[in-house]
Amino acid sequence: MITLGSGLTDSQGHRKLSPVSPLLSAVSVLPAIIGFALAIFLPSGFSFTQNFPALRPFVAGVLVIGLASLALSIFVALFQILGWRAFSFWIDQDGDLRVRSGVLIRNERRVQLSRIQAVDVVQPLVARIFSMAVLVVEVAGQKDSRVTFRFLSLTDATEIRQTLLNLAAGTQTESTDTDSPVLFRLPSRDLALGLLLRTSTVLLFTATIAILIFSYVIEGWAGITFALVTGGVPILIVIVEFITFYGFTVYDSPDGLRLRYGLLKTENRTVPEGRVQAIDFIEPWLWRSHSWTRVAINIAGVGSSSQGSSGKNKETLLLPVATRSVADSIVARVLPNIDIAEIDWKVAPNRASKRSPIQWRNLAMGWSANSFAARRGRITRHLMIIPHARTQSVHITQGPWERALNLASLHVDTTPGPVSVVALHLDVDEAREALYGQAGRVNQGGGI
Amino acid sequence: MNTDSAFYSNDDWIPVSEKLISARRLVVVLVAIPVIGIVIALWLIPAVPSFIAWIVAALGLVSFIWLWWLIGRRVRSYAYCERESDLLVTSGILFRRLVIVPYGRMQLVDVTAGPIDRAFGVTTVQIHTAAATTDAAIPGLVPEVAAAVRDRLAKRGESRAAGL
Repeated sequence: MITLGSGLTDSQGHRKLSPVSPLLSAVSVLPAIIGFALAIFLPSGFSFTQNFPALRPFVAGVLVIGLASLALSIFVALFQILGWRAFSFWIDQDGDLRVRSGVLIRNERRVQLSRIQAVDVVQPLVARIFSMAVLVVEVAGQKDSRVTFRFLSLTDATEIRQTLLNLAAGTQTESTDTDSPVLFRLPSRDLALGLLLRTSTVLLFTATIAILIFSYVIEGWAGITFALVTGGVPILIVIVEFITFYGFTVYDSPDGLRLRYGLLKTENRTVPEGRVQAIDFIEPWLWRSHSWTRVAINIAGVGSSSQGSSGKNKETLLLPVATRSVADSIVARVLPNIDIAEIDWKVAPNRASKRSPIQWRNLAMGWSANSFAARRGRITRHLMIIPHARTQSVHITQGPWERALNLASLHVDTTPGPVSVVALHLDVDEAREALYGQAGRVNQGGGI
Repeated sequence: MNTDSAFYSNDDWIPVSEKLISARRLVVVLVAIPVIGIVIALWLIPAVPSFIAWIVAALGLVSFIWLWWLIGRRVRSYAYCERESDLLVTSGILFRRLVIVPYGRMQLVDVTAGPIDRAFGVTTVQIHTAAATTDAAIPGLVPEVAAAVRDRLAKRGESRAAGL
């Protein structure tokens, strides 16, 4: 039997999570527990003081809240211990991962290793203090398709991760973080500047300044609350994203690209080779002087609708900010054989300006022997690429306004994710020809 | 300007059953009943001026006639075509659409029929791929035809399955 990691095992030889997990889980929810205790016991804390006038109200309050929090934490920890006792995982005879869990309702899950999309090691703040980590296994599927191992020691988690990836890939290559070559490291300055120069940030800041001037001229400082919102939101977004993507580094590894980032919570993500379905180069207006680009990707089974929008963003981002040449070289590793230079672009006709007056100049589509590409957007430019072999279906649509102008839009359907490949407002005959041509290329493209 | 040619081709397009028109029109009739009830209620309540009831009745009648006509056109706009290696589905009048699904990319084929559809003897065949945006549904197929289409598609899909 294949062993997973080097941690605790039970009598059947099944792996257990780290024994400090219940405690860590309890500590993780401590802020919530204290908040709860404050809300429930603050009134009774005061009446307590009345019975013991010798104690000063503040001391009594702290004492009551502290005791209540402690009791609740112990309760949570006890509950977590039960969960910990019931949780075990192992590799079965067929070479698949089995996970057993559940106190009241027993649940045994079998994860087909060939279906694994990604194995991530995540370190939340509390876990990092104790050098513990959370292992997240992503499996292809729409709903409830991830298995979370909360918590394992960091070395154990990395070992298990490597074992699972090796088993999934059918290889036995040993690799550790230390010997993986760094392909790209994002300087903090570029990250901060890139986030500040995003179109939405700049627009909101401009709006803030306009509101401030306007409200000062018209009626003193009455508009200040509105300005606080328009000015505060982008600042908050920039800070949050800066913390999330701080120290963004791309490593080469045998099973794909490894991404590592985060200031408070270090995330380790692997973008498996051959799992990328479609790609989008996003270039905001003010990034163009640096020839910077953001790269979003669709990965099968990752970032589907069942996950929150914030998680969706993070898990489907290949690069937050990078120069175009760096982006191209990194994209080439996850999606080889796409030759953007080879593509013969077919642009939207001039009459498309009556449908999309701003972006029509950048509307175009094209294809090469093995991928389809489309461009759209004027202020924020998009360049979307999808290999024929990853194309699920193709369709054209035509709204009434497009019909009047004899235009149609060509959509190349991909798995759910941030990238949707669409060539807008093309000449009808060209769109139709491309549609049938694309269907032929998809059929020839064969399997994924 | 006639752009119909963009959404059809010389292939053998099969229209869906006209029974779907009756099924969908029945839904409109069922919706119309509470509207008639509202109009009568407005008419009977003395506090409401009678012209309001008239306006509501007129709006209801106009939308009823419009929907009646629209359903006929919309159902006739549905057509599908099974080619050698892919399936074509076209639909829509105002917003036209033509989707091509290669057999190799089909993940599953659903055959569904609601109570009204069943009463009129029509079913919907829905083709799913790994993409949520594919949306290739053929409504208004006679159950025997739907079952035959499903079986053919499943067979073709199997022989060309590409997976993910």
